[in-house]
Amino acid sequence: MAEGFRQWRCRNCGFIYDEALGWPDEGIAPGTRFEDIDDEWYCPDCGSEKQDFELVE
Amino acid sequence: MALPTELAQTIIDPKAYSQRELVDEAFRQIRATAPLAKAELDGFEPFWVVTRHADIKEIERQPDIFHNGDKSTFLSNIEGNARVKMLTGGEPNLIRSLVSVDGKEHKDLRGIVFPHITPRAIKPLEEQIRAIAREFVDHMLSFDGECDFAADVAFLYPLRVIMTVLGVPQEDEPFMLKLTQELFNNADPELNRARAELSPEDMLKSLWETTMELERYFAAVTEKFRANPTEHINSLIANAKIDGEYLNHRQMMGYYIIAATAGHDTTSNTTAGAMWALAEKPEMLAQMKADPSLINAFVEESIRWEVPVKHFMRSAVSDCEIGGQQIKAGDWLMLSYQSANRDESIWADPFEFRIDRDSNPQIAFGYGVHVCLGQHLARMEMRILWEELFKRLESVELAGPCERTISNFVCGPKHVPIRFTAN
Repeated sequence: MAEGFRQWRCRNCGFIYDEALGWPDEGIAPGTRFEDIDDEWYCPDCGSEKQDFELVE
Repeated sequence: MALPTELAQTIIDPKAYSQRELVDEAFRQIRATAPLAKAELDGFEPFWVVTRHADIKEIERQPDIFHNGDKSTFLSNIEGNARVKMLTGGEPNLIRSLVSVDGKEHKDLRGIVFPHITPRAIKPLEEQIRAIAREFVDHMLSFDGECDFAADVAFLYPLRVIMTVLGVPQEDEPFMLKLTQELFNNADPELNRARAELSPEDMLKSLWETTMELERYFAAVTEKFRANPTEHINSLIANAKIDGEYLNHRQMMGYYIIAATAGHDTTSNTTAGAMWALAEKPEMLAQMKADPSLINAFVEESIRWEVPVKHFMRSAVSDCEIGGQQIKAGDWLMLSYQSANRDESIWADPFEFRIDRDSNPQIAFGYGVHVCLGQHLARMEMRILWEELFKRLESVELAGPCERTISNFVCGPKHVPIRFTAN
């Protein structure tokens, strides 16, 4: 993982959003901070909203 | 190490699940002494019993290693597995549904309905579902102080909600309820197709007959929605194309059947179990009437508590290590959600029903890419029912002994007699 990038886990299904990798399947470029993702985005695996993600410590 | 035979027999026995304390105690002992061990029982292919929350999550987050559909997705004996292959022309599952496919096929099939059932997508349904909830609250209160909450409310309300979303007419609801109960409660003489104790061979025959009856019903559904497409989920299934082709017969029938059966039976079981818990701890009603924001915690705890899908099976496609055990390619594993939701390393008091937990990472919906497609709808419809009911319910208590279904797969309370007063 690149320095400073974080990972966020969906509480409902465990999907990991890795800021270093982004989510190119939906046009989210590598290096995109979680807070910079559109608020309308939802978990690609289960549909949970951004508020249902937690920071992976 | 092999799992002690007595414990292994208890956790597969449908009758044991009708006395849940027996199964809870067996799993408590297994978690303490052999949390990931192999069950070796006469008539069954040996299978690992996965009981810890962390191990199930680890397995479910690796769908490329642990497949759903290479072997039976629920526990079945060697003879039953062979008969299913004969009936289906070589497939390990009677029904080819989302829970029994993997990889691209699973992603493609799930993608047909998924965008239409996210929290944002279902939000516009809230008022329609609230109207249905009010109708069933009225229905309950019409019983003049006593009813069987399972049969009179919990079986019917989620059924109406999901049939509305699917596009199934109300007059077909009794048919769908009957066939769902036949499908999931095959070991229970009160609810199965024959209304009798069945041999394993007759159980499979009965399941096949129910499946064929459902397929005949849904064949007409496909015709109807191809002629006149709508926004209903059955219409999405009927008209969906993958790589330019309509779903094949097995995929389409499997999709209709899982949506129309698992789409309400699981929520019904949880709703019935929630009322049972409430009637045993009526102080929760006063708390939630005073602070309705606690209802979300009540819903989540009832899902953890009731855990309506008791297990699913996976099979390993390559060697790997889970929880300190070497799993070999081809091994079969039972993921016990009931056990995981009682895991003492996650919940300090797992055998208490509590609505004041700081967190509740229950995994009754599963985890990973196969997590329940309808989880958000299930939570929403339960929240709405309790919001509407608790406004009008003054008191509730049990009016007799509750009864659980005889089943080791999808099951829960079938009778919850209650006595209540309204505001």
